[in-house]
Amino acid sequence: MSTATLQEKSARVRPPGRPSARGRRPLDRQTLAAWILALPFVLLFLAFSAGPVIGSLGMSFTDIKQRDLRTPFAVNGVGIENYVKALSDETFRRAALNTAYFVVVGVPLTLVAALGAAVLLDRGVKKFQSLFKVAYYLPVVTSIVAIAVIWRFVLSPDAGLLNTVLGWVGIDGPNWLASKTWAMPSLIAMAVWRNFGSAMIIFLAGLQGIPQSVEEAGQLDGAGSWQRFRYLILPLLRPTVLFTSVVTGIGYLQFFEEPFVMTQGGPLNSTVSVSMYTYQQFGFGNYGLATAMSYLLFVVIAVVTFIQFRLLREK
Amino acid sequence: MFTQTNRVRRRLVTGGALLTATALALAGCGRSEDSGAAAPESTTSVGSGPATGDLTVWAMGTEGENLPQLTKAFEQANPGTKVTVTPIPWDAAHNKFTTAITAQSLPDAAMVGTTWMGEFAGLDALDPTPNGFDTAGFFPGALDTTKVGGVGYGVPWYVETRVVYYRKDLAAKAGITTPPTDWDGLKAMAKAMQDKAGAKYGINLQPGGQGSWQTVMPFAWSAGASITSDDDKQFTLDSPEMQEGLKYYQSFFTEKVAGTDLPPNQTEAQFVSGQVPMFISGPWMAGSIAKLGGDKMKANIGVFELPKNKTSTSFVGGSNFVVFKASKNKDSAWKLVQWLSEAKTQTEWYKLSTDLPAVQSAWQDPSIASDPLLPVFGKQLETAKAPPAIVNWEQVATAFDAEVEKMAKAGQSPADTAKAIQTKATSIGTGS
Repeated sequence: MSTATLQEKSARVRPPGRPSARGRRPLDRQTLAAWILALPFVLLFLAFSAGPVIGSLGMSFTDIKQRDLRTPFAVNGVGIENYVKALSDETFRRAALNTAYFVVVGVPLTLVAALGAAVLLDRGVKKFQSLFKVAYYLPVVTSIVAIAVIWRFVLSPDAGLLNTVLGWVGIDGPNWLASKTWAMPSLIAMAVWRNFGSAMIIFLAGLQGIPQSVEEAGQLDGAGSWQRFRYLILPLLRPTVLFTSVVTGIGYLQFFEEPFVMTQGGPLNSTVSVSMYTYQQFGFGNYGLATAMSYLLFVVIAVVTFIQFRLLREK
Repeated sequence: MFTQTNRVRRRLVTGGALLTATALALAGCGRSEDSGAAAPESTTSVGSGPATGDLTVWAMGTEGENLPQLTKAFEQANPGTKVTVTPIPWDAAHNKFTTAITAQSLPDAAMVGTTWMGEFAGLDALDPTPNGFDTAGFFPGALDTTKVGGVGYGVPWYVETRVVYYRKDLAAKAGITTPPTDWDGLKAMAKAMQDKAGAKYGINLQPGGQGSWQTVMPFAWSAGASITSDDDKQFTLDSPEMQEGLKYYQSFFTEKVAGTDLPPNQTEAQFVSGQVPMFISGPWMAGSIAKLGGDKMKANIGVFELPKNKTSTSFVGGSNFVVFKASKNKDSAWKLVQWLSEAKTQTEWYKLSTDLPAVQSAWQDPSIASDPLLPVFGKQLETAKAPPAIVNWEQVATAFDAEVEKMAKAGQSPADTAKAIQTKATSIGTGS
């Protein structure tokens, strides 16, 4: 790449107020070639990503039902009725609260577990690092259906592993998945166990990217290991924390598989999630209502992610 | 088991639906009048000659696997006809049908879950049963499941209904020699099972959750309730009769005769262990109990008809056989359906699949009549009912199940429960 284009590029990154007033320049050969090469992707993206997204936004303002799919122009616009209906739906609000509960408790737990495991792997067990990496990552790549079978056994009220162990210390464990109080914590535990491996790998990469010299400098200044972690390592990990918290947050806001395979949203709607309820509405053919619910979730995800960026970005 | 909701992954459903919508929007195709609002009259009648040409058929589960053995005989009787059966897993079936209806890529004929009839007819996919098609021999409750808005679509293919199962040995221990016939008798029997036969709970009743309406509605029907008005246009779920049924159902939980804390899918195991020696379910349970408990347990399985209030009305399930409007070989497809509903074919099919015949006369075959349990099901079927074939039934049923759960587990009063089901059902609408 020539220096000229480099300069031009850096000039484009920070435009001086308005873009250049010279108007549109004809496409040069290089740009044209780039567009042609990108065309298959752009077309596929428009047809299968952007198109459906825009289409579904449109659908959320209509009364479209399953039977209207063959005549998509025969549907009526209903304004924000679907959004009002979703927000005034008792079960949807319940699902929103459940999802919030899951995110607020689940995301920090996942990140702490992931960071803890990453630090231990990075500092402690150099010898079997690969083994532990694989072991912690295994739940991430295992099918949720297989995981559900194992967890149903763990959480089973009578012969379950968890209640058997609790029985040894004289605690009479509850019927975890059938209890209104314990069903959600059970699912959170399962989700943390299932997901912390992927965040751990990213944390581990972040930790290994911090030069040894930083910590040695801290050691020379007389900082203890907690102080070094708190005031040196953690601030340097900030971009990694941002990334993992955003990715985990988005994933957890779309909380779906755990209640879907374990509880079907019960007991008494105590584990129904926004995604799951939306899915149910799609199943009933209420596409207008379901897409409205999807967009409500989309807005929440956008807002939460924005807040995370504001709180955690580099100062 | 016959009220499958689609369980295909979320992405497939949403993605598929949105893609289809967009693709159609881009193609700009339009369709105006045939939205299934007006009830179509049957126009065809089945010819008298043999069937001709190729037929494609979809069927779910084990039926899909066994059906080719049956259709071989049809091919022999109609030379030159070839029937291709595609087996479909139950889990994916509902979604596959709705997608195929949208894309008009349907087979000629198919097995269809009884509770999907309203929806598919609403999507204008089913061919009305031809004139002169003899439907008098079917169980009336089963035949009702083929009727949407007064028009018949297809025939009942096989049926099932729910009766009360009990452990004969434990009943004897509890001092019960003849099965009860009324509501008080059933409750007393369940209590005796607890008090005298050492059971944890007298009877296993579903405390809400998917499909629990199938156990609740028989009690409400027996008390005289109905789900909709006669023309299927209004819901009538808030009636005193409905409340009476709900009240009776709830009393089992409040009096601790039935439990809300039993793990699901353990009905057979708890029956065999004697922990819960009674439950209400369909004919398939006899086989799974015998499998779990062995021959000794088999002799201890007893069944009796649902106890009577005003009537003894159970739930009728099963599957229907339909012909699709889009079929290019309708005449031969209906001939296949006609052949499938002959008593002789139905008996053959029972021997092949243990699916119970929908045609009453097939029950006289010794293979069914001499069974120790089946005649009770046959008797119950004579009065059993199905939910109305309305487009939104699956959705109403889900709301119903959620309210039953509140009533069984959280103590919601039967009156409030009936009211909540009615309110939700009304806001969902019948969909027609």
